[in-house]
Amino acid sequence: MTLVVALMAALLGAAKDDGFGPYKPTPLKLSIPKGWPKPNSDIFAKNKLTEEGFELGRKLFYDGNLSKDGATSCGSCHQQFAAFSTYDHDLSHGINNTFTDRNAPSLVNLAWMTSYHWDGGINHIEVQPLSPITAHNEMGETLENIIAKLNADSSYSRYFKAAFGDKAITSQRILKALAQFTGSLISSNSRYDQWKNGTLKFTPVEESGYALYKANCSSCHREPLFTDNSFHNNGLPLNRFGDAGRQRITGLSSDSLKFKVPSLRNVQYSVPYMHDGRFNDLDKVITHYTSGINYLQPTLDSILQKPIVFTERQKLELIYFLYTLTDTSFTKNKRFAPAQPITIKH
Amino acid sequence: MIKRILLQAFAIVAICALPGKLTAQNGKLILKFVHLANEKKIIRNDSVYSTPNGEPYTISKLRYYVSEIGSGKPSRNIFLVDAFGPDSIEMKLPAGHYQQLSFLLGVDSLLNCSGAQDGALDPLKDMFWTWNSGYVMFKLEGKSDSSHADLNRIEQHIGGYKGENKTMRRITLNLPEKLVIDQKKTHTVVIEVDLDKYWNKASISANPVIVIPGTLAKRAADNFPLMFRVKSIL
Repeated sequence: MTLVVALMAALLGAAKDDGFGPYKPTPLKLSIPKGWPKPNSDIFAKNKLTEEGFELGRKLFYDGNLSKDGATSCGSCHQQFAAFSTYDHDLSHGINNTFTDRNAPSLVNLAWMTSYHWDGGINHIEVQPLSPITAHNEMGETLENIIAKLNADSSYSRYFKAAFGDKAITSQRILKALAQFTGSLISSNSRYDQWKNGTLKFTPVEESGYALYKANCSSCHREPLFTDNSFHNNGLPLNRFGDAGRQRITGLSSDSLKFKVPSLRNVQYSVPYMHDGRFNDLDKVITHYTSGINYLQPTLDSILQKPIVFTERQKLELIYFLYTLTDTSFTKNKRFAPAQPITIKH
Repeated sequence: MIKRILLQAFAIVAICALPGKLTAQNGKLILKFVHLANEKKIIRNDSVYSTPNGEPYTISKLRYYVSEIGSGKPSRNIFLVDAFGPDSIEMKLPAGHYQQLSFLLGVDSLLNCSGAQDGALDPLKDMFWTWNSGYVMFKLEGKSDSSHADLNRIEQHIGGYKGENKTMRRITLNLPEKLVIDQKKTHTVVIEVDLDKYWNKASISANPVIVIPGTLAKRAADNFPLMFRVKSIL
Protein backbone atom coordinates (compact mmCIF):
# COMPACT_ATOMS: atom_id res chain seq x y z
CA MET A 1 0.00 0.00 0.00
CA THR A 2 2.73 2.39 1.04
CA LEU A 3 4.54 1.57 -2.18
CA VAL A 4 1.48 2.32 -4.29
CA VAL A 5 0.92 5.66 -2.58
CA ALA A 6 4.59 6.58 -2.95
CA LEU A 7 4.52 5.60 -6.62
CA MET A 8 1.38 7.62 -7.25
CA ALA A 9 2.78 10.59 -5.40
CA ALA A 10 5.94 10.42 -7.50
CA LEU A 11 3.91 10.24 -10.69
CA LEU A 12 1.71 13.10 -9.56
CA GLY A 13 4.81 15.11 -8.73
CA ALA A 14 6.20 14.40 -12.18
CA ALA A 15 2.94 15.38 -13.80
CA LYS A 16 3.06 18.73 -12.02
CA ASP A 17 6.60 19.53 -13.20
CA ASP A 18 6.62 22.75 -15.18
CA GLY A 19 10.17 22.74 -16.39
CA PHE A 20 11.77 24.38 -13.39
CA GLY A 21 12.59 21.10 -11.65
CA PRO A 22 11.18 19.69 -8.44
CA TYR A 23 10.17 21.83 -5.47
CA LYS A 24 12.87 21.45 -2.89
CA PRO A 25 13.22 24.59 -0.80
CA THR A 26 16.22 24.88 1.47
CA PRO A 27 15.12 25.47 5.05
CA LEU A 28 16.70 28.45 6.79
CA LYS A 29 17.00 28.77 10.51
CA LEU A 30 16.63 32.19 12.07
CA SER A 31 19.80 32.45 14.09
CA ILE A 32 19.10 33.84 17.53
CA PRO A 33 22.08 35.81 18.85
CA LYS A 34 23.58 34.65 22.13
CA GLY A 35 21.78 36.02 25.15
CA TRP A 36 18.81 37.34 23.18
CA PRO A 37 15.21 36.48 23.98
CA LYS A 38 13.24 34.23 21.65
CA PRO A 39 11.86 36.07 18.63
CA ASN A 40 8.14 36.74 18.27
CA SER A 41 6.85 33.21 17.64
CA ASP A 42 4.22 34.53 15.25
CA ILE A 43 6.71 35.72 12.66
CA PHE A 44 7.59 32.53 10.83
CA ALA A 45 4.97 30.22 12.35
CA LYS A 46 2.95 30.05 9.13
CA ASN A 47 5.68 31.24 6.80
CA LYS A 48 8.44 28.67 6.69
CA LEU A 49 11.72 30.47 6.32
CA THR A 50 13.62 29.13 3.30
CA GLU A 51 16.55 30.28 1.20
CA GLU A 52 14.24 30.50 -1.82
CA GLY A 53 11.61 32.51 0.06
CA PHE A 54 14.28 34.87 1.37
CA GLU A 55 15.71 35.34 -2.15
CA LEU A 56 12.30 36.11 -3.60
CA GLY A 57 11.74 38.56 -0.73
CA ARG A 58 15.05 40.25 -1.45
CA LYS A 59 14.22 40.57 -5.16
CA LEU A 60 10.82 42.08 -4.33
CA PHE A 61 12.28 44.43 -1.71
CA TYR A 62 14.53 46.02 -4.32
CA ASP A 63 12.02 45.98 -7.20
CA GLY A 64 10.68 49.40 -8.24
CA ASN A 65 7.72 47.66 -9.87
CA LEU A 66 6.10 47.47 -6.48
CA SER A 67 5.44 51.20 -6.92
CA LYS A 68 3.30 53.18 -9.36
CA ASP A 69 6.25 54.96 -10.98
CA GLY A 70 8.22 51.76 -11.41
CA ALA A 71 11.24 53.21 -9.63
CA THR A 72 10.40 53.47 -5.93
CA SER A 73 11.22 50.21 -4.22
CA CYS A 74 11.12 49.33 -0.51
CA GLY A 75 14.87 49.77 -0.65
CA SER A 76 14.52 53.36 -1.91
CA CYS A 77 13.52 54.54 1.55
CA HIS A 78 15.06 51.69 3.53
CA GLN A 79 18.70 51.98 2.51
CA GLN A 80 21.07 49.33 3.75
CA PHE A 81 23.92 51.74 4.41
CA ALA A 82 21.58 53.70 6.69
CA ALA A 83 20.58 50.53 8.55
CA PHE A 84 17.51 50.40 6.31
CA SER A 85 16.29 53.90 7.13
CA THR A 86 16.45 56.91 4.76
CA TYR A 87 19.81 58.53 5.32
CA ASP A 88 19.84 62.22 6.13
CA HIS A 89 16.13 62.70 5.35
CA ASP A 90 13.66 63.76 8.00
CA LEU A 91 10.88 62.56 5.69
CA SER A 92 11.27 60.23 2.73
CA HIS A 93 10.23 60.80 -0.86
CA GLY A 94 7.21 59.03 -2.28
CA ILE A 95 6.17 58.90 -5.93
CA ASN A 96 5.39 62.15 -7.81
CA ASN A 97 7.65 64.30 -5.61
CA THR A 98 5.65 63.67 -2.48
CA PHE A 99 6.87 63.48 1.11
CA THR A 100 6.00 60.86 3.67
CA ASP A 101 4.39 61.95 6.94
CA ARG A 102 6.93 60.27 9.18
CA ASN A 103 10.61 59.37 9.31
CA ALA A 104 11.38 55.99 7.73
CA PRO A 105 12.29 53.68 10.61
CA SER A 106 15.35 51.48 10.47
CA LEU A 107 14.46 47.88 9.60
CA VAL A 108 16.38 45.91 12.17
CA ASN A 109 15.61 42.88 14.31
CA LEU A 110 11.98 43.01 13.19
CA ALA A 111 11.47 39.39 14.22
CA TRP A 112 11.61 40.56 17.85
CA MET A 113 8.96 43.23 17.40
CA THR A 114 5.35 42.89 18.44
CA SER A 115 3.99 45.67 16.23
CA TYR A 116 5.23 47.89 13.42
CA HIS A 117 5.18 51.59 12.51
CA TRP A 118 5.74 54.52 14.85
CA ASP A 119 2.15 54.16 16.07
CA GLY A 120 2.18 50.34 16.25
CA GLY A 121 -0.79 50.21 13.87
CA ILE A 122 0.54 47.16 12.06
CA ASN A 123 -0.06 43.91 13.92
CA HIS A 124 1.98 41.45 11.83
CA ILE A 125 5.17 41.69 9.78
CA GLU A 126 3.47 40.19 6.73
CA VAL A 127 0.84 42.89 6.38
CA GLN A 128 3.19 45.84 6.92
CA PRO A 129 4.12 46.32 3.22
CA LEU A 130 0.45 46.95 2.36
CA SER A 131 0.78 50.36 3.95
CA PRO A 132 3.76 51.82 2.02
CA ILE A 133 2.74 50.02 -1.19
CA THR A 134 -0.70 51.62 -1.29
CA ALA A 135 -0.04 55.01 0.33
CA HIS A 136 -0.37 57.80 -2.27
CA ASN A 137 2.70 59.55 -0.86
CA GLU A 138 4.84 56.42 -0.74
CA MET A 139 4.62 53.77 -3.47
CA GLY A 140 1.07 54.60 -4.62
CA GLU A 141 0.38 51.22 -6.19
CA THR A 142 -2.35 48.57 -5.98
CA LEU A 143 -1.88 44.86 -5.35
CA GLU A 144 -3.71 44.10 -8.61
CA ASN A 145 -1.21 46.15 -10.62
CA ILE A 146 1.77 44.66 -8.82
CA ILE A 147 0.60 41.12 -9.52
CA ALA A 148 0.03 42.04 -13.18
CA LYS A 149 3.51 43.59 -13.45
CA LEU A 150 5.21 40.65 -11.77
CA ASN A 151 3.32 38.23 -14.04
CA ALA A 152 4.61 40.18 -17.03
CA ASP A 153 8.20 39.95 -15.76
CA SER A 154 9.39 36.50 -16.81
CA SER A 155 12.21 36.50 -14.25
CA TYR A 156 9.75 35.95 -11.40
CA SER A 157 8.24 32.54 -12.37
CA ARG A 158 11.40 30.74 -11.33
CA TYR A 159 11.52 32.56 -7.98
CA PHE A 160 7.89 31.90 -7.06
CA LYS A 161 8.15 28.27 -8.09
CA ALA A 162 11.33 27.81 -6.06
CA ALA A 163 9.87 29.51 -3.00
CA PHE A 164 6.30 28.21 -3.03
CA GLY A 165 6.16 25.17 -5.33
CA ASP A 166 4.44 26.68 -8.34
CA LYS A 167 4.56 29.84 -10.42
CA ALA A 168 1.37 31.41 -9.12
CA ILE A 169 1.87 35.00 -7.99
CA THR A 170 -0.51 35.97 -5.19
CA SER A 171 -0.58 38.83 -2.72
CA GLN A 172 -0.11 36.34 0.10
CA ARG A 173 3.07 34.95 -1.45
CA ILE A 174 4.45 38.42 -2.15
CA LEU A 175 3.84 39.45 1.45
CA LYS A 176 5.20 36.25 2.93
CA ALA A 177 8.37 36.44 0.83
CA LEU A 178 8.93 40.08 1.82
CA ALA A 179 8.51 39.06 5.47
CA GLN A 180 11.13 36.36 5.03
CA PHE A 181 13.61 38.98 3.86
CA THR A 182 12.79 41.77 6.29
CA GLY A 183 12.37 39.37 9.22
CA SER A 184 15.89 38.10 8.57
CA LEU A 185 17.49 41.54 8.90
CA ILE A 186 19.31 40.88 12.15
CA SER A 187 21.97 43.22 13.51
CA SER A 188 23.89 41.64 16.39
CA ASN A 189 27.57 42.18 15.69
CA SER A 190 28.29 45.72 16.84
CA ARG A 191 31.19 46.72 19.07
CA TYR A 192 28.68 46.55 21.93
CA ASP A 193 27.84 42.91 21.08
CA GLN A 194 31.51 41.99 20.80
CA TRP A 195 32.11 43.65 24.16
CA LYS A 196 29.20 41.68 25.67
CA ASN A 197 30.63 38.50 24.20
CA GLY A 198 34.02 39.32 25.70
CA THR A 199 35.86 39.56 22.39
CA LEU A 200 36.85 43.21 22.85
CA LYS A 201 37.11 45.87 25.51
CA PHE A 202 35.32 49.20 25.65
CA THR A 203 37.40 52.36 25.95
CA PRO A 204 36.97 54.19 29.28
CA VAL A 205 34.81 56.78 27.49
CA GLU A 206 32.54 54.07 26.08
CA GLU A 207 32.30 52.46 29.50
CA SER A 208 31.24 55.77 31.05
CA GLY A 209 28.74 56.22 28.25
CA TYR A 210 27.33 52.76 28.89
CA ALA A 211 26.84 53.61 32.58
CA LEU A 212 24.99 56.79 31.58
CA TYR A 213 22.84 54.81 29.14
CA LYS A 214 22.03 52.25 31.86
CA ALA A 215 21.02 54.94 34.32
CA ASN A 216 18.99 57.14 31.97
CA CYS A 217 17.90 55.38 28.78
CA SER A 218 17.71 51.64 29.34
CA SER A 219 14.23 51.41 30.80
CA CYS A 220 12.69 52.03 27.36
CA HIS A 221 15.67 51.30 25.08
CA ARG A 222 16.16 47.95 26.78
CA GLU A 223 19.06 45.61 26.06
CA PRO A 224 19.77 43.64 23.99
CA LEU A 225 17.31 44.96 21.36
CA PHE A 226 17.52 48.55 22.65
CA THR A 227 13.75 48.87 22.56
CA ASP A 228 11.03 47.40 24.74
CA ASN A 229 8.46 47.63 21.91
CA SER A 230 6.29 49.94 24.03
CA PHE A 231 4.80 53.37 23.33
CA HIS A 232 5.69 56.55 25.18
CA ASN A 233 5.29 60.29 25.01
CA ASN A 234 8.81 61.64 25.33
CA GLY A 235 7.71 65.26 25.56
CA LEU A 236 8.07 66.41 21.97
CA PRO A 237 5.68 69.20 20.97
CA LEU A 238 2.92 68.27 18.49
CA ASN A 239 4.33 68.56 14.98
CA ARG A 240 2.95 70.50 12.00
CA PHE A 241 0.98 67.43 10.84
CA GLY A 242 -0.86 67.22 14.16
CA ASP A 243 0.51 63.69 14.49
CA ALA A 244 -0.88 62.25 17.74
CA GLY A 245 0.87 58.89 17.23
CA ARG A 246 -0.62 55.93 19.03
CA GLN A 247 -3.90 57.74 19.65
CA ARG A 248 -4.70 57.44 15.94
CA ILE A 249 -4.73 53.66 16.36
CA THR A 250 -6.39 53.19 19.73
CA GLY A 251 -8.61 56.26 19.72
CA LEU A 252 -7.65 56.82 23.36
CA SER A 253 -6.72 60.31 24.51
CA SER A 254 -4.41 58.65 27.03
CA ASP A 255 -2.32 57.54 24.03
CA SER A 256 -1.93 61.05 22.66
CA LEU A 257 1.62 61.77 21.44
CA LYS A 258 2.85 58.29 22.26
CA PHE A 259 5.19 56.73 19.73
CA LYS A 260 6.97 53.41 19.54
CA VAL A 261 10.39 53.26 21.19
CA PRO A 262 12.87 52.91 18.30
CA SER A 263 15.84 50.58 18.67
CA LEU A 264 19.12 52.40 19.24
CA ARG A 265 21.04 49.84 17.23
CA ASN A 266 22.88 51.53 14.33
CA VAL A 267 21.61 54.87 15.58
CA GLN A 268 24.75 56.48 14.12
CA TYR A 269 23.44 55.64 10.64
CA SER A 270 19.69 56.05 11.16
CA VAL A 271 19.97 59.86 11.32
CA PRO A 272 17.81 61.99 11.57
CA TYR A 273 15.80 61.10 14.66
CA MET A 274 12.29 60.97 16.15
CA HIS A 275 9.04 60.07 14.37
CA ASP A 276 9.28 63.12 12.13
CA GLY A 277 13.05 63.26 11.86
CA ARG A 278 13.13 66.62 13.60
CA PHE A 279 16.61 66.17 15.14
CA ASN A 280 19.48 65.83 12.72
CA ASP A 281 22.15 64.76 15.20
CA LEU A 282 22.46 62.84 18.45
CA ASP A 283 23.48 65.91 20.41
CA LYS A 284 20.06 67.47 19.67
CA VAL A 285 18.36 64.27 20.77
CA ILE A 286 20.15 64.24 24.11
CA THR A 287 19.58 67.97 24.56
CA HIS A 288 15.87 67.31 24.09
CA TYR A 289 15.93 64.94 27.06
CA THR A 290 17.93 67.36 29.22
CA SER A 291 16.17 70.61 28.40
CA GLY A 292 13.60 70.26 25.61
CA ILE A 293 10.79 68.27 27.17
CA ASN A 294 7.33 69.84 27.30
CA TYR A 295 6.32 69.09 30.89
CA LEU A 296 2.76 70.34 30.43
CA GLN A 297 1.67 67.39 28.30
CA PRO A 298 -0.70 65.20 30.30
CA THR A 299 0.54 61.98 28.69
CA LEU A 300 4.25 62.71 29.24
CA ASP A 301 5.98 59.53 30.40
CA SER A 302 6.36 59.35 34.17
CA ILE A 303 10.04 58.44 33.86
CA LEU A 304 10.71 61.74 32.10
CA GLN A 305 8.94 63.94 34.66
CA LYS A 306 12.29 64.80 36.22
CA PRO A 307 14.82 66.37 33.83
CA ILE A 308 17.85 64.27 32.97
CA VAL A 309 21.04 66.13 33.83
CA PHE A 310 24.17 65.62 31.75
CA THR A 311 27.38 67.61 31.58
CA GLU A 312 28.70 68.39 28.09
CA ARG A 313 31.34 65.71 28.63
CA GLN A 314 28.71 63.18 29.66
CA LYS A 315 26.72 63.91 26.49
CA LEU A 316 29.79 63.01 24.47
CA GLU A 317 30.41 59.88 26.51
CA LEU A 318 26.84 58.76 25.86
CA ILE A 319 27.23 59.44 22.13
CA TYR A 320 30.45 57.42 22.08
CA PHE A 321 28.58 54.57 23.66
CA LEU A 322 25.76 54.90 21.11
CA TYR A 323 28.34 54.60 18.35
CA THR A 324 29.29 51.17 19.73
CA LEU A 325 25.85 50.02 18.54
CA THR A 326 26.95 50.51 14.93
CA ASP A 327 27.15 47.20 13.10
CA THR A 328 28.91 47.54 9.77
CA SER A 329 28.76 43.78 9.18
CA PHE A 330 24.99 44.43 9.01
CA THR A 331 25.05 47.55 6.87
CA LYS A 332 27.53 45.93 4.47
CA ASN A 333 26.15 42.39 4.52
CA LYS A 334 25.94 41.35 0.84
CA ARG A 335 23.08 39.00 1.65
CA PHE A 336 20.90 42.00 2.45
CA ALA A 337 21.97 44.00 -0.62
CA PRO A 338 20.30 43.72 -4.04
CA ALA A 339 21.18 40.40 -5.66
CA GLN A 340 22.04 42.17 -8.91
CA PRO A 341 23.25 45.71 -9.44
CA ILE A 342 20.32 48.12 -9.63
CA THR A 343 19.90 49.85 -12.96
CA ILE A 344 19.40 53.56 -12.42
CA LYS A 345 16.56 54.79 -14.59
CA HIS A 346 16.96 58.25 -16.11
CA MET B 1 -4.41 11.73 -21.40
CA ILE B 2 -1.91 9.56 -19.56
CA LYS B 3 -1.71 12.26 -16.93
CA ARG B 4 -5.47 12.18 -16.48
CA ILE B 5 -5.54 8.40 -16.15
CA LEU B 6 -2.80 8.56 -13.56
CA LEU B 7 -4.64 11.25 -11.64
CA GLN B 8 -7.82 9.18 -11.67
CA ALA B 9 -5.89 6.11 -10.60
CA PHE B 10 -4.38 8.11 -7.77
CA ALA B 11 -7.79 9.40 -6.73
CA ILE B 12 -9.14 5.85 -6.52
CA VAL B 13 -6.14 4.74 -4.49
CA ALA B 14 -6.61 7.74 -2.21
CA ILE B 15 -10.27 6.91 -1.63
CA CYS B 16 -9.43 3.30 -0.92
CA ALA B 17 -6.66 4.23 1.39
CA LEU B 18 -8.42 6.99 3.29
CA PRO B 19 -12.07 6.08 3.65
CA GLY B 20 -12.49 8.35 6.67
CA LYS B 21 -11.52 11.53 4.83
CA LEU B 22 -14.52 11.74 2.56
CA THR B 23 -17.38 11.87 4.98
CA ALA B 24 -20.89 10.85 4.12
CA GLN B 25 -22.25 13.10 6.87
CA ASN B 26 -21.94 16.42 5.05
CA GLY B 27 -24.50 18.10 2.88
CA LYS B 28 -24.40 21.23 0.78
CA LEU B 29 -26.19 24.45 1.60
CA ILE B 30 -26.56 27.66 -0.34
CA LEU B 31 -27.25 30.98 1.34
CA LYS B 32 -28.65 33.66 -0.92
CA PHE B 33 -28.61 37.18 0.43
CA VAL B 34 -31.20 39.63 -0.86
CA HIS B 35 -30.41 43.22 0.01
CA LEU B 36 -33.28 45.57 0.73
CA ALA B 37 -33.70 49.24 1.48
CA ASN B 38 -37.15 50.71 2.08
CA GLU B 39 -38.47 47.21 1.37
CA LYS B 40 -37.12 47.27 -2.19
CA LYS B 41 -34.25 45.28 -3.63
CA ILE B 42 -31.35 47.71 -3.80
CA ILE B 43 -30.04 49.02 -7.09
CA ARG B 44 -26.54 50.39 -7.46
CA ASN B 45 -26.12 54.16 -7.60
CA ASP B 46 -29.37 55.09 -9.34
CA SER B 47 -32.03 54.68 -6.67
CA VAL B 48 -32.45 57.02 -3.76
CA TYR B 49 -33.42 55.45 -0.45
CA SER B 50 -34.29 56.96 2.83
CA THR B 51 -32.93 56.15 6.28
CA PRO B 52 -35.47 55.73 9.10
CA ASN B 53 -34.30 59.21 10.06
CA GLY B 54 -35.56 60.52 6.73
CA GLU B 55 -32.17 61.18 5.14
CA PRO B 56 -31.81 60.33 1.44
CA TYR B 57 -28.93 58.16 0.19
CA THR B 58 -27.72 56.07 -2.71
CA ILE B 59 -25.63 52.91 -2.54
CA SER B 60 -22.55 52.19 -4.63
CA LYS B 61 -21.00 49.37 -2.63
CA LEU B 62 -22.15 46.85 -0.05
CA ARG B 63 -19.90 44.03 1.06
CA TYR B 64 -19.46 42.06 4.23
CA TYR B 65 -17.91 38.91 5.61
CA VAL B 66 -19.93 35.88 6.61
CA SER B 67 -18.07 33.14 8.45
CA GLU B 68 -18.41 30.33 10.98
CA ILE B 69 -21.67 29.20 9.43
CA GLY B 70 -23.58 26.46 11.18
CA SER B 71 -25.75 25.82 14.12
CA GLY B 72 -23.55 25.62 17.15
CA LYS B 73 -20.68 24.19 15.13
CA PRO B 74 -18.55 27.02 13.76
CA SER B 75 -16.60 26.23 10.60
CA ARG B 76 -13.58 28.01 9.19
CA ASN B 77 -15.34 28.81 5.93
CA ILE B 78 -15.20 32.53 5.23
CA PHE B 79 -17.16 34.29 2.51
CA LEU B 80 -17.25 37.83 1.22
CA VAL B 81 -20.80 38.69 0.21
CA ASP B 82 -21.15 41.44 -2.37
CA ALA B 83 -24.61 42.92 -2.94
CA PHE B 84 -23.57 43.85 -6.47
CA GLY B 85 -21.47 40.76 -7.09
CA PRO B 86 -21.56 37.23 -5.71
CA ASP B 87 -24.50 37.33 -3.31
CA SER B 88 -24.88 33.58 -2.90
CA ILE B 89 -22.49 31.39 -0.99
CA GLU B 90 -22.22 27.63 -0.97
CA MET B 91 -20.83 25.53 1.83
CA LYS B 92 -20.81 22.09 3.34
CA LEU B 93 -22.47 21.55 6.67
CA PRO B 94 -22.86 18.49 8.85
CA ALA B 95 -25.97 16.58 7.84
CA GLY B 96 -28.91 16.94 10.16
CA HIS B 97 -32.11 18.79 10.93
CA TYR B 98 -31.62 22.49 11.57
CA GLN B 99 -34.07 24.66 13.50
CA GLN B 100 -31.83 27.71 13.41
CA LEU B 101 -29.04 29.03 11.29
CA SER B 102 -26.15 30.86 12.83
CA PHE B 103 -23.17 32.69 11.38
CA LEU B 104 -20.64 35.33 12.29
CA LEU B 105 -20.96 38.64 10.51
CA GLY B 106 -17.28 39.47 10.25
CA VAL B 107 -13.99 37.70 10.74
CA ASP B 108 -12.70 36.03 13.89
CA SER B 109 -10.15 38.08 15.91
CA LEU B 110 -7.30 35.67 15.32
CA LEU B 111 -7.52 36.01 11.54
CA ASN B 112 -7.23 39.78 11.93
CA CYS B 113 -3.73 39.47 13.34
CA SER B 114 -2.24 36.38 11.70
CA GLY B 115 -0.46 37.95 8.75
CA ALA B 116 -1.22 37.75 5.03
CA GLN B 117 -4.31 35.68 4.23
CA ASP B 118 -5.71 34.37 0.96
CA GLY B 119 -9.11 33.58 -0.52
CA ALA B 120 -11.91 35.83 0.70
CA LEU B 121 -9.45 37.40 3.14
CA ASP B 122 -6.88 38.35 0.48
CA PRO B 123 -6.06 42.06 0.95
CA LEU B 124 -6.78 42.33 -2.79
CA LYS B 125 -10.45 42.30 -1.83
CA ASP B 126 -9.99 45.78 -0.42
CA MET B 127 -11.40 44.82 2.96
CA PHE B 128 -8.14 45.05 4.99
CA TRP B 129 -6.96 48.29 6.56
CA THR B 130 -3.37 49.01 5.58
CA TRP B 131 -2.54 51.54 8.31
CA ASN B 132 -4.32 49.98 11.27
CA SER B 133 -4.25 46.24 10.69
CA GLY B 134 -7.57 44.45 10.71
CA TYR B 135 -10.49 43.63 8.47
CA VAL B 136 -13.38 45.86 7.54
CA MET B 137 -16.18 43.49 8.51
CA PHE B 138 -18.91 45.43 6.71
CA LYS B 139 -18.57 48.07 4.04
CA LEU B 140 -21.34 50.34 2.77
CA GLU B 141 -20.57 53.21 0.42
CA GLY B 142 -22.71 55.69 -1.42
CA LYS B 143 -23.77 59.33 -1.47
CA SER B 144 -26.20 61.45 0.42
CA ASP B 145 -27.27 65.07 0.31
CA SER B 146 -27.17 64.88 4.10
CA SER B 147 -23.44 64.07 4.06
CA HIS B 148 -21.07 66.94 4.75
CA ALA B 149 -18.12 64.80 3.64
CA ASP B 150 -16.20 65.44 0.41
CA LEU B 151 -18.45 64.80 -2.64
CA ASN B 152 -21.36 64.04 -0.28
CA ARG B 153 -19.83 60.65 0.34
CA ILE B 154 -21.04 57.99 2.70
CA GLU B 155 -18.34 55.56 3.78
CA GLN B 156 -19.29 53.12 6.47
CA HIS B 157 -16.29 50.83 6.91
CA ILE B 158 -17.21 48.96 10.04
CA GLY B 159 -14.29 47.09 11.59
CA GLY B 160 -12.33 46.54 14.78
CA TYR B 161 -11.44 43.18 16.31
CA LYS B 162 -9.99 44.03 19.71
CA GLY B 163 -11.65 44.01 23.12
CA GLU B 164 -14.42 46.54 23.48
CA ASN B 165 -14.12 47.67 19.88
CA LYS B 166 -15.03 44.29 18.41
CA THR B 167 -17.43 44.63 15.50
CA MET B 168 -18.04 41.03 14.50
CA ARG B 169 -21.48 39.88 15.58
CA ARG B 170 -23.01 36.42 15.75
CA ILE B 171 -26.28 36.29 13.87
CA THR B 172 -28.74 33.55 14.79
CA LEU B 173 -31.76 33.20 12.56
CA ASN B 174 -34.90 31.20 13.19
CA LEU B 175 -35.93 29.12 10.21
CA PRO B 176 -39.54 29.19 8.97
CA GLU B 177 -39.44 25.41 8.54
CA LYS B 178 -37.08 22.64 9.49
CA LEU B 179 -34.01 22.60 7.26
CA VAL B 180 -32.78 19.13 6.36
CA ILE B 181 -29.18 18.96 5.28
CA ASP B 182 -28.13 15.75 3.62
CA GLN B 183 -26.53 14.53 0.43
CA LYS B 184 -29.81 14.12 -1.41
CA LYS B 185 -30.78 17.73 -1.95
CA THR B 186 -28.99 21.06 -1.79
CA HIS B 187 -31.27 23.64 -0.23
CA THR B 188 -31.05 27.38 -0.65
CA VAL B 189 -31.87 29.58 2.30
CA VAL B 190 -32.92 33.04 1.15
CA ILE B 191 -31.89 35.66 3.67
CA GLU B 192 -33.14 39.21 3.52
CA VAL B 193 -30.70 41.89 4.57
CA ASP B 194 -32.49 45.08 5.55
CA LEU B 195 -30.43 48.26 5.33
CA ASP B 196 -33.17 50.24 7.11
CA LYS B 197 -32.16 48.22 10.18
CA TYR B 198 -28.48 49.00 9.59
CA TRP B 199 -29.17 52.71 9.87
CA ASN B 200 -31.68 52.20 12.65
CA LYS B 201 -31.48 55.49 14.57
CA ALA B 202 -28.15 56.57 13.06
CA SER B 203 -27.87 59.89 11.32
CA ILE B 204 -25.98 60.34 8.06
CA SER B 205 -25.48 64.03 8.70
CA ALA B 206 -23.83 63.25 12.04
CA ASN B 207 -21.56 60.41 10.84
CA PRO B 208 -21.42 59.97 7.08
CA VAL B 209 -17.91 58.51 7.36
CA ILE B 210 -16.90 55.81 9.82
CA VAL B 211 -13.54 54.34 8.83
CA ILE B 212 -11.82 53.57 12.12
CA PRO B 213 -12.53 51.12 14.92
CA GLY B 214 -14.14 52.67 17.99
CA THR B 215 -17.42 53.69 19.53
CA LEU B 216 -19.17 54.64 16.27
CA ALA B 217 -18.17 51.41 14.55
CA LYS B 218 -19.24 49.40 17.56
CA ARG B 219 -22.61 51.13 17.65
CA ALA B 220 -23.11 50.42 13.94
CA ALA B 221 -22.18 46.76 14.48
CA ASP B 222 -24.80 46.47 17.19
CA ASN B 223 -27.37 46.84 14.42
CA PHE B 224 -26.01 43.87 12.42
CA PRO B 225 -28.17 41.25 14.18
CA LEU B 226 -31.32 43.29 13.41
CA MET B 227 -30.65 43.32 9.67
CA PHE B 228 -30.96 39.64 8.80
CA ARG B 229 -34.06 37.44 8.50
CA VAL B 230 -34.82 34.25 6.64
CA LYS B 231 -37.36 34.71 3.90
CA SER B 232 -37.66 31.19 2.58
CA ILE B 233 -36.01 27.84 2.10
CA LEU B 234 -35.89 26.58 -1.47
